[in-house]
Amino acid sequence: MRAQRLIARFAIENSDNFEIVTVFDDEIQREMLDKDEPILKSISSKYTIATWFERKIKDDFGIKIEGAYDNRPLVHHERFPNIYPMRKEFVEKDIEFREFKPYKYETVGGEGVFEVAVGPIHAGIIEPGHFHFSQEGERMLHLEVRHFYTYRGIEKTLEGKNLLEAKEIIERISGNESIAYQLAWFDIVKQASDLKYDEKLKKYHCLLLELERIIHHLTDMGFMPNDAGFGAALSFASKLSEDTRVLLQELSGHRFGFGSVGFEVKKYDKQKILNFLNTLEKKVRWFEDWIIDIPSLWDRFDFTGILSKQKAKSYCVLGVIARSSGEKIDARNNEFYKKHGFVLQNELVGDVASRFKLRIKEIYNSIGLIRNFIDGFTKIEKPIKFDDAEYMSYVESSIGELFMFIKLKNGKIDRFYTRDASFINWQALYLMMEKDIIADFPLINKSCDLSYAGNDL
Amino acid sequence: MIKFWQERVKNPISTKNLECDSKLKEIKKELKSVIGKKFAGSLAIRMVSSGSCNACEAECNALSNPYYNLERLCMHFVASPRHADIILLSGVVSANMYHHILNVYQQMPQPAYIVTLGDCPLLQGVFQENFAIKGAKSLGLPIAYHINGCPPNPQEIITGLLEFLKSLG
Ligand code: SF4
Repeated sequence: MRAQRLIARFAIENSDNFEIVTVFDDEIQREMLDKDEPILKSISSKYTIATWFERKIKDDFGIKIEGAYDNRPLVHHERFPNIYPMRKEFVEKDIEFREFKPYKYETVGGEGVFEVAVGPIHAGIIEPGHFHFSQEGERMLHLEVRHFYTYRGIEKTLEGKNLLEAKEIIERISGNESIAYQLAWFDIVKQASDLKYDEKLKKYHCLLLELERIIHHLTDMGFMPNDAGFGAALSFASKLSEDTRVLLQELSGHRFGFGSVGFEVKKYDKQKILNFLNTLEKKVRWFEDWIIDIPSLWDRFDFTGILSKQKAKSYCVLGVIARSSGEKIDARNNEFYKKHGFVLQNELVGDVASRFKLRIKEIYNSIGLIRNFIDGFTKIEKPIKFDDAEYMSYVESSIGELFMFIKLKNGKIDRFYTRDASFINWQALYLMMEKDIIADFPLINKSCDLSYAGNDL
Repeated sequence: MIKFWQERVKNPISTKNLECDSKLKEIKKELKSVIGKKFAGSLAIRMVSSGSCNACEAECNALSNPYYNLERLCMHFVASPRHADIILLSGVVSANMYHHILNVYQQMPQPAYIVTLGDCPLLQGVFQENFAIKGAKSLGLPIAYHINGCPPNPQEIITGLLEFLKSLG
């Protein structure tokens, strides 16, 4: 039997029970729990990545998890108040910190084994997160990834708002993936109303998404070699990503596309975009040709941070990481995209080099897609009425499949849940460290380039 | 490597930015004198995110790209608060980051300045105070300057930093 792919697992509070929704790639399971004494049977022995989902359910709702091998808090840190913020009865805004309660890290014991704690504040300009290594000399024996430092309580904040009001928060969940989040939101708006999705508008939205992907890949195309000590690549690629960001601003009115996915196509100069894409393609080809000749770089890239296809599958890994390990997962793999020139990109080894090469391949494919997405101007009516129901949406962000769930009640959001690809991929990160030394960690981490803000919510 | 040098000779400067370059030149003059006087010629900045959406950080990273190249303006990002003159603080100051930010401030040599970046820290944007969001004011630390925007673009950050330096008198 084919193993199902776990997509998400989350809780909803109904008036007389807690409902646990578990989304697989081919079915959705629902389980009702008693409201006074909610206990949920863990599925983490079958799906390792269910662990974070379940720990989050426990922190958010105070639902007890039975049979879990990891019962530590996830979102609630050492001084986080003792509250279950996602329960409907919880309405307070300002809460006192509780007394410091130490967190027990996952470590490996033994003679000569020592621990290295990195973060939450890092040396570079990145978001906060904690990495806890167990080391035997330089070799990494184990890594625990600990996150949720940027936890902003977004799920709760959105409750009670209507779909249109929620937009400005949803697009700021993760700045690098803003357009993907907006598209997931738009998809739900579309399902919930009688909106007529115009083909031209759809193409414009998809164009923006590909542009966002290119910027993300270009950035990594510079940062990965930089983390291996080859700074020239960063200068080159960061110039290209800045150029592309300027184009995104012209096309959408914002450097990160905030506020760009809506009900009309902004007027733009088609020829200018085509010219830009031609130059960009040439420059990336030049870059590829240049960088392939730097042996010391590939010495660092090749066979570093390997994630096998089998592991990628059992951890239900998504996006760039999955495709680099030979998994064929991409939410864009549908008729509409294929018609416009989408080809699913793949690598086989699953190491840093694969992820680097895959990003370059995807840039070419996205450039091709954008050429085909260029179309005319249009404007559609903004919907005002939304039907009460539950809606789900999937969008392939620059990191991987983004899942969004919204339940509307009386026209307002009753439950908002979203799962960034990072939430799953972070849980698989430690698998890539087994054969490497700690000095490779920044490189491996950068090759995955996962989101902290999208993960933490 | 030969390809690189060939390209380099063929297209010596490819990051001309007419509008921005002339502006930066002017800013540079002003900056040099302030930074020269106040910070012995170089301003060390520690960027700390306290729960942002990452766009503010991305713009700070963009400051190092060849178009803006912050270092030519006598400013550079450092890896530790112990090396820093100022903190550039982005994000909403989440409950989970609150004590870490206080810690960062304590690690800094005095005089230490906090410059808040983006709409988030002062809760002027879409994120408002809640059980997980504290806001920079709740830290009880002096905030020397604030740079608006969601996110402020690289030019706005540079001009903001200049204004901050001028405000020091
Ligand atoms: S100010 Fe805006 S861009 Fe900056 S972190 Fe906050 S939401 Fe993101």
